[in-house]
Amino acid sequence: MKKRGRGMACMWYPIGFTVAANPSAATVKVNTDGTATVLTGTVETGQGALTVLGQIAAEALGIATDDVHVVSGDTDVTPMDTGAIASRTTYVTGNAIVKAAEKAREILFEAAAPLLNVKPNQLEARDKQIQVLGFPSSSIPISEVVLHSESVVGTPAIGSASYNPPTVQMDPETGQGKPFNTYVYATQIADVEVDDETGEVEVLKIVAVHDCGTPINPMLVEGQIQGGISMGVGFALQEEILFKEGKQINPNLTNYIMPTSLDMPDLEVGLVDNYDPTGPFGAKGAGEPTAVPTAAAIMNAIYDAVGVRISTLPATAERVMTAIMEKRETEQKIVAS
Amino acid sequence: MATRTTDIQTDAEQLVMPRESKAPASQSLALSGGSPVVFPLELPQSESRLSTPAVGQRATRPDARLHGLGQTQYIDDISFPHMLHAKILRSEYPHARILNIDTSEAEKMPGVIATLTGAEIPENTFGPTFQDQPVLAYPIVRHLGDGVVAVAAITEQLAADALEKIKIEYEPLPAVFDPLEAMEDDAPKLHGETNIYTSKVIKKGDVEKALKESDHVFHRQYRTQMVEHVPLEPHATIASWDGNGRVTLWSSLGRITLGREDISRTLAIPQSRVRLIGTVVGGNFGGKNEITNEPIVALLSKKARRPVKSVFTRGDEFVSSTIRHPFIMDYTTGVNNEGKILARKVRLILDGGAYCSWTGTTIGKGSILAPGPYNIDNIHVEAYAVYTNKTATGAMRGFGAPQVCFAYESQMDEIAHKLGMDPLEIRLKNGFTENSLSPTSQTLQSVALKESLTQAADRFGWKEWQK
Repeated sequence: MKKRGRGMACMWYPIGFTVAANPSAATVKVNTDGTATVLTGTVETGQGALTVLGQIAAEALGIATDDVHVVSGDTDVTPMDTGAIASRTTYVTGNAIVKAAEKAREILFEAAAPLLNVKPNQLEARDKQIQVLGFPSSSIPISEVVLHSESVVGTPAIGSASYNPPTVQMDPETGQGKPFNTYVYATQIADVEVDDETGEVEVLKIVAVHDCGTPINPMLVEGQIQGGISMGVGFALQEEILFKEGKQINPNLTNYIMPTSLDMPDLEVGLVDNYDPTGPFGAKGAGEPTAVPTAAAIMNAIYDAVGVRISTLPATAERVMTAIMEKRETEQKIVAS
Repeated sequence: MATRTTDIQTDAEQLVMPRESKAPASQSLALSGGSPVVFPLELPQSESRLSTPAVGQRATRPDARLHGLGQTQYIDDISFPHMLHAKILRSEYPHARILNIDTSEAEKMPGVIATLTGAEIPENTFGPTFQDQPVLAYPIVRHLGDGVVAVAAITEQLAADALEKIKIEYEPLPAVFDPLEAMEDDAPKLHGETNIYTSKVIKKGDVEKALKESDHVFHRQYRTQMVEHVPLEPHATIASWDGNGRVTLWSSLGRITLGREDISRTLAIPQSRVRLIGTVVGGNFGGKNEITNEPIVALLSKKARRPVKSVFTRGDEFVSSTIRHPFIMDYTTGVNNEGKILARKVRLILDGGAYCSWTGTTIGKGSILAPGPYNIDNIHVEAYAVYTNKTATGAMRGFGAPQVCFAYESQMDEIAHKLGMDPLEIRLKNGFTENSLSPTSQTLQSVALKESLTQAADRFGWKEWQK
């Protein structure tokens, strides 16, 4: 008989390396038509990082995402970056880009101030213009300021900066310290169906609500969460490298079973409203944490459905069925005695 | 001779040749100028990319358009004139000493241009935490995925055939596969005098006293398995030298700055003579955060004086690239009758496989996160990472967090069930809030745990839900 169950799991997860320095640097160059080029040493690994980094640069310069081109991944050209690891790209590389863009913007403010008869600190970059704070009708297009700065002032609108999250060393005896600068939080809830005659588990639905600070691009955060859940489902129910005397016996996709689109439950993804003042425009990160609570939520749902606690992953049909049979035997013994 | 490129072109032409079809006629797919690549140049206007402010927009991805048009160049799509293909022969034993390597028969094969062994690598060690891993194992192999000899030949098939002609004599050594056995004094040792190669302690309050004072104490052991990242694109590299002794590598690495440092170190040449280009990565998930075949391909290219490419097979990807650490986790938690957690004691054993790789980060994050996102005054976490003669475990999405989350959240539900509490209620009762102190006594900011719990419960319909 198929039995339904629900289970929840929440989690916390840090952004960046554990204490160790993990800086990123960036260069932002503003072009004479008001568009910009960003140089970053990170690489695109399919998560959409370069799009998010472009949005961050655009925001800092008061221009649109489409106005920014991001150049990445070439040690001859791009500045250093610790890389696409530890859910750090949006937060650490993003912060470096904000700082670099602010330096480029400062050059534009210095060039525009005498033309607008104000001080540089009375200016802002907004809607593709350098304008007087509180008086936007006094403004010059960014494109003209760039040309003026490089041809008359003699300063190209180029900014470079690096960022490293501040941490405090952990005490070797007690582990006390500040290993990370910020953390994200999340909850996932699973609705499952367990066949108590075969042990097979089907995940029907997962609701996932994650905190990533301000989502720079909500669509890409949702994509990360959906992908993370698919890894979580595999970790929970299917995937396992099997060894015999040190030899992997299933090193292929015929015998190492991964979830396919047919194994994926219905997903409902939500983001909590949050803002981290230490992140770029309030953002933290979203990469790894999306895969963290899925297996725990599914195991709690299996318990709710059939009353067995799976304490060894993955919860394959054999393992769930064995646990169900052990539970029945125990119950029969209690009845018999 | 039919090359791979012309084969692909022919295939592509066949694919786009108009065929008899009952489907309604669409736009012509005829080729112009003989190019098999046909793509639209009219760019769709997307409001999300044109608006200010930029942050918060659901901006579409320029790279997604290239993926959709088949224009993204992964390393498998890149080739150079006279480029060779590399294959790596892996160990026959999980633990052994190499006595002799004979590559002469392989080198006699027409089309085999170069071979490489670990002894020829200038600095044959690497690793992000400790440099305990050889690029090609020599003289000790520590697991079956260790590469021993690499071959460069004019085709992939020839390179694979050449591996079968290589003769290696081994002296097998005792091996250990279980992390608990590997912790014992008399276990075979992989590196040095102990297999426990790193450990971590997190200590706060008085856990033993608080457990004694608890109304209920829960204990359970949880275990997790080894899993592989399985990126769509396996590890891939091309290396090519110029006449000034400068090498350019195209690599699927996710971190090129540190990758260049590692390549410069293993090849013993200055960083200024290494150019590392990180191509678009076809999935990383933590598995592409350290060098693998880059120095091998660079040295084969140097010997052959031709560009050399290596693309891992799916089998290489499983056995030789890093995988997720299996954890053995003992959780003991004391609570009072109201469901408040008073103490949590955790012991973690990480199966490290043959090399350290990213274990330093995994044991750190795993230990810090192990008590869960809960206000607990008395905490004791101890964690040990252990070498075994198996595939090395390293970085994988979450660095130990999915393992410990499975344990702490399973136990939270067990406690709730015993006390007759709703699982949501026990989490809200103990969960972090703004300015909570973490297990390492860090004041936490921008905490949104309870918001995520209540929003998820509302969206799921937790209170109304019925079986």
